[in-house]
Amino acid sequence: MTAQIATLEDMERDALTELVNIGVSRAAVSLRKMVGQHVLLSVPSLEVVSRSGAITLIREREYGQLVAVRQDFDGAFSGRALLIFPESNSLAMVRAVAGETLTVEEASAIENEALAETGNIVLNSCLATMANMLKQPLTMSLPEVIRSNGSLLFEPRRLESGGGIVLFLYINFAINNHDIRGYISMLMDLPSIQALRLLIADFIRQVMGEEI
Amino acid sequence: MAITVTEAGSATGTIIYANAAFEALTGFPAAEVMGRSDRLLHAEETDRAVLDQLHAAVAQTGAGTAEVLNRRKDGTRFWNRISVTTIRDAEGSPAFSLATLAEVTGGPPPANGHAGQQHSRPKLDEARARLRQVQVSAAAAGAWEWDIATNRLVVDARFASIYGLEPATAELPASAFFKPIHDDDRMRMRIAVAGALQGAEVFARDFRVVVGGEVRWVAARGRTYLDDEEKPLRFAGVLTDISEQRKVEERLYIAQTAGGVGSFEYLSGYGTAEVSEEFCRLLGLRPALTLPVRTINAVVHPDDEAIIQNRDGQIREGAAFHECRITRADTGEERWLASRGEYRRAVGGGVIFAGVIYDVTTIKRSEAQLRLLTESLEERVELRTQERDRVWNLSRDLLNVIGPDGLQRSVNPAWTTLLGFEASELLGSSMDALVHPDDLAIFAVHLTALRRGELTADFDIRLRSKDGTYRWVSWTAMVQDETIYGIGRDVTQRKLLEEQLRQSQKMEAVGQLTGGLAHDFNNMLTGILGGIDMARRRIQQGRLQDVDRYLDAAVTSGQRAAALTHRLLAFSRRQTLDSRPLDVSTLVRSVEDLLRRSLGERIELTIDADPDLWPALADESQLESAILNLAINARDAMPEGGQLTIRLQNAHFPPETLEAKKAIAGDFVQIRVADTGCGMPPEVLARVFDPFYTTKPVGQGTGLGLSMIYGFVQQSRGHIQIASDEGKGTAIHLLLPRYDGDLPLTREVESEPPLSGTGETVLVVEDDPAVRLIVLQSLKELGYHSIETQNGKEAVPILQSNRKIDLLVTDVGLPGLNGRQIADIGRESRPHLPVLFMTGYAMEAADQSRFLTAGMTILKKPFSVDEFGRLIAVILQRSPGESGKPGH
Amino acid sequence: MATTVLIVDDSKLARIVVGKAIAALQPGWMRVEAGNADEAVAVVEAQPVSLAIVDFNMPGRDGLTLVEELRARFPTMPLAVATANVQDEIIARARAANATFIAKPVTEDGIRGFISGAAIRLRSAPR
Repeated sequence: MTAQIATLEDMERDALTELVNIGVSRAAVSLRKMVGQHVLLSVPSLEVVSRSGAITLIREREYGQLVAVRQDFDGAFSGRALLIFPESNSLAMVRAVAGETLTVEEASAIENEALAETGNIVLNSCLATMANMLKQPLTMSLPEVIRSNGSLLFEPRRLESGGGIVLFLYINFAINNHDIRGYISMLMDLPSIQALRLLIADFIRQVMGEEI
Repeated sequence: MAITVTEAGSATGTIIYANAAFEALTGFPAAEVMGRSDRLLHAEETDRAVLDQLHAAVAQTGAGTAEVLNRRKDGTRFWNRISVTTIRDAEGSPAFSLATLAEVTGGPPPANGHAGQQHSRPKLDEARARLRQVQVSAAAAGAWEWDIATNRLVVDARFASIYGLEPATAELPASAFFKPIHDDDRMRMRIAVAGALQGAEVFARDFRVVVGGEVRWVAARGRTYLDDEEKPLRFAGVLTDISEQRKVEERLYIAQTAGGVGSFEYLSGYGTAEVSEEFCRLLGLRPALTLPVRTINAVVHPDDEAIIQNRDGQIREGAAFHECRITRADTGEERWLASRGEYRRAVGGGVIFAGVIYDVTTIKRSEAQLRLLTESLEERVELRTQERDRVWNLSRDLLNVIGPDGLQRSVNPAWTTLLGFEASELLGSSMDALVHPDDLAIFAVHLTALRRGELTADFDIRLRSKDGTYRWVSWTAMVQDETIYGIGRDVTQRKLLEEQLRQSQKMEAVGQLTGGLAHDFNNMLTGILGGIDMARRRIQQGRLQDVDRYLDAAVTSGQRAAALTHRLLAFSRRQTLDSRPLDVSTLVRSVEDLLRRSLGERIELTIDADPDLWPALADESQLESAILNLAINARDAMPEGGQLTIRLQNAHFPPETLEAKKAIAGDFVQIRVADTGCGMPPEVLARVFDPFYTTKPVGQGTGLGLSMIYGFVQQSRGHIQIASDEGKGTAIHLLLPRYDGDLPLTREVESEPPLSGTGETVLVVEDDPAVRLIVLQSLKELGYHSIETQNGKEAVPILQSNRKIDLLVTDVGLPGLNGRQIADIGRESRPHLPVLFMTGYAMEAADQSRFLTAGMTILKKPFSVDEFGRLIAVILQRSPGESGKPGH
Repeated sequence: MATTVLIVDDSKLARIVVGKAIAALQPGWMRVEAGNADEAVAVVEAQPVSLAIVDFNMPGRDGLTLVEELRARFPTMPLAVATANVQDEIIARARAANATFIAKPVTEDGIRGFISGAAIRLRSAPR
């Protein structure tokens, strides 16, 4: 925990958690449609941590190599969204979305491409839903598949201000009968957190409008 | 009527609600059955076939009734008429099962299996009627539908009842949805609903409503229906009163947290398990609601059973209990956990494994201790070994074992803590590698003593740590079977303190000397100035025969002054204990002059040294300081004057004069400092080595003198002994260990007349006009050709020119470029140019080895013309003339 | 003449999914694929195309730009934009280009409306 945690008031935190909840629910629905299986979601966990703290959070839960689909978003607030899962789950994920009839060879042949599309759909569903609710358009980069032991996932995409402090959101998901689990994670730096605060404040005013 | 609500679908789900009538019927309190399977009512005689039929009926039609023999909590049996109805959610999937239970008095006898079957036929109408009744009295779902286009809300009677609305108010403005919501939950519900209205599809929220001043927890589950163009059409769902469930959950949470019980639930086939916060805490993981099974099981000891098992769903049913060791993820500590759980079939396939874990480390440890106590002696020995191991592992002191080959066989973890080296880096290597180069000699002495079988204690050496810094470590060691066992304590902090004290002690001695020194210097200056003045007068008068006598007197006074300043500079130099082989006799003679001055005229000083005195191993400056301190003490003990005798002789331990108690035998150099002063009474004598003990008036001494000397001698592995007779005097013996070997050779100063030059060219750089004049004049008289410059600015162009230069003579401290920098510039074009530095600054002389490179020499100021001439001749002989030429 | 549907998506997986859904609904239709906007333009120049389903997020020109180009050339061709980016702005732009918006992941149900609508339009206005 850092001093910057104070930049998010309880109310803003609640509102943001809910926003993410809604975005991720939509993402889970997309994922469910793709794999034809129920997708379990945890309550989003939302923390202002250092980049290394974010790495620790993931490392504590996963030991092996990770594979992630990374999409950067830009707009009134910017950041990075990640769909992360253990590399050992990667082929199972591909077969879950591309069809169980695929052989292992066929699955490996389209692995990266299938992962990218899955990430694209899941992350876009989530981000677009959030953007709609905040009434702020976001542009999304093309999805990129990376494999790393964790640290690479959170490396800064450019010279960022804010002393390496990031808003780290993550949600565990698990897909029934596939032994697939992973995380949806979102990172934002300090200026974006400030921009997001203002949008959330507007949003709170708007949804509470009838009562205030 | 007894009612239970279980999780969707079948009658064998988890009970999430039971009313008071259930307790009256079965004896199980509601709180006790929450979260458990309703199979807890089953007895051995319960007819499984009847139950299976009931389940089949429920699965097919959503309802069913059966009569079965059940057992109460007290074990008694009763015939139970069960009616099950399924409540579906908005999507039509089974959400809950409502069961009513009623005792059937005079039911069929237990042996009659047919009676149950008659009732197992679904009676749908009856069940529906009952459901309506149940919906009013028990926790059941109310439904809502929100039309997004018109912004109207349609609710059923149950919803209205939960929300405290009139049952007739079937259609409402949408804002009514938020009206009774608790203030603390309203914002998040508004956000969630806003999300749902904009197409977030899945809606699942628990929140509080306030109706008539009463707070109730409700669970809303719903979804948004989209039109063909993905536009949200309506938002509908069901609402359930979950207040009881929440209360149970809260109680459970408190009980779990307070009791250190962590709970988990795992459905076979999944990669993650749902866990409680306490569960994470017990494993040392960050609190989370779900954890990968792999993460959970990874903390378990590889030899023990995993916490989450049955990933393949092979175990279908039954209780489970096991204990396992874990390594906490955060602290790495090993703990014992017990896991208690139950496998049960999940609705919709798979097996649920739900249970709790708790810490049993203390119990396990007491069990182990108890076993140990009752087991045989052998195992008690084992225990003691463990205790010793514990000492070995936990000790903050360095512990090591050195084999006969001098290599370290084992080291304890304190080495890693203190010095940063892993055990693997130290084992099989000699300790010499870590010992400070200046401490190697004393270390070798102690090792030799150890090899002779002596116990050695309190010798301090510096050990290098991995980061290159040194730590002072005080060692005690013994030998057994040629193996050395050592204990070393980190005394770096103490050493720093001692060093500060030693320095202050030294400065105190200097302070004590200052008065006398000022007087002496004035005397010497008088001798110099007076001699020169007299010589000048005689020259003016033309009486040249007396001139040499006066000049000689001036030179003598000057040389004495020079000797005194050198001594003082060396003495006040701050340094740590630096034991080296040294000739004590030479050292004492070198301070003789200083001693005489500080003792004054009324004290007669006698120095008496054995001609074949052995070399000793000690710190030169410390020994000087010790002798000076002893002399000053002696002076203060003889205010009326007297005799001070310093006697140096070889001694073999144990000499009669010393007590044999603590001392180590061997050869020593003994320094006896004896006065004829007032002596000390026995009570003072007993305390003289105590720090801060002084007999002197306040402000005249710190009382550290003798204790510092004591420390120094001890550290040098020597002895100190004091004898005093009141009224007759005091004698102090310092015994320093003999150095077994030859002293390093010190070059004798040659006293031959200076060799004359043969016109070689010397470049002189000197900013002081007086010194420059003397140097140039001397060179001229010695037959050298010289170039005069005042600083680097003048000298550098000459050095860079093609002029012939055979030698550079330069002052070190100069304005602008210093002497060394000038020399370096000169060396760029004249790589073999010999350089002679002149300096009056002691520090640079002390650092000669670092300051000089080949072909460079230092001459300390002041110096005589003869000394100067001899040195130049030696330098020029060493380097043939042409080497000084520019090497283009 | 056979009905030809053009599927434009940089993801092969996405093209397979869309192709399967169309095959289930209209087994008789011919399917051609393109991996980006340039390829798509090359296809429509080389052969007659009856309708097109275009991904939004692609390297090079995005799907909306392509749909706007196609609309300019083929004022009556049934067009759809398929994306998981369900932002209001994207949907609005799709509408403005007279294209149907289909949310990804594409399912039979999700695409049925567009396909049956297109089938009716193609039958009622033969070229």
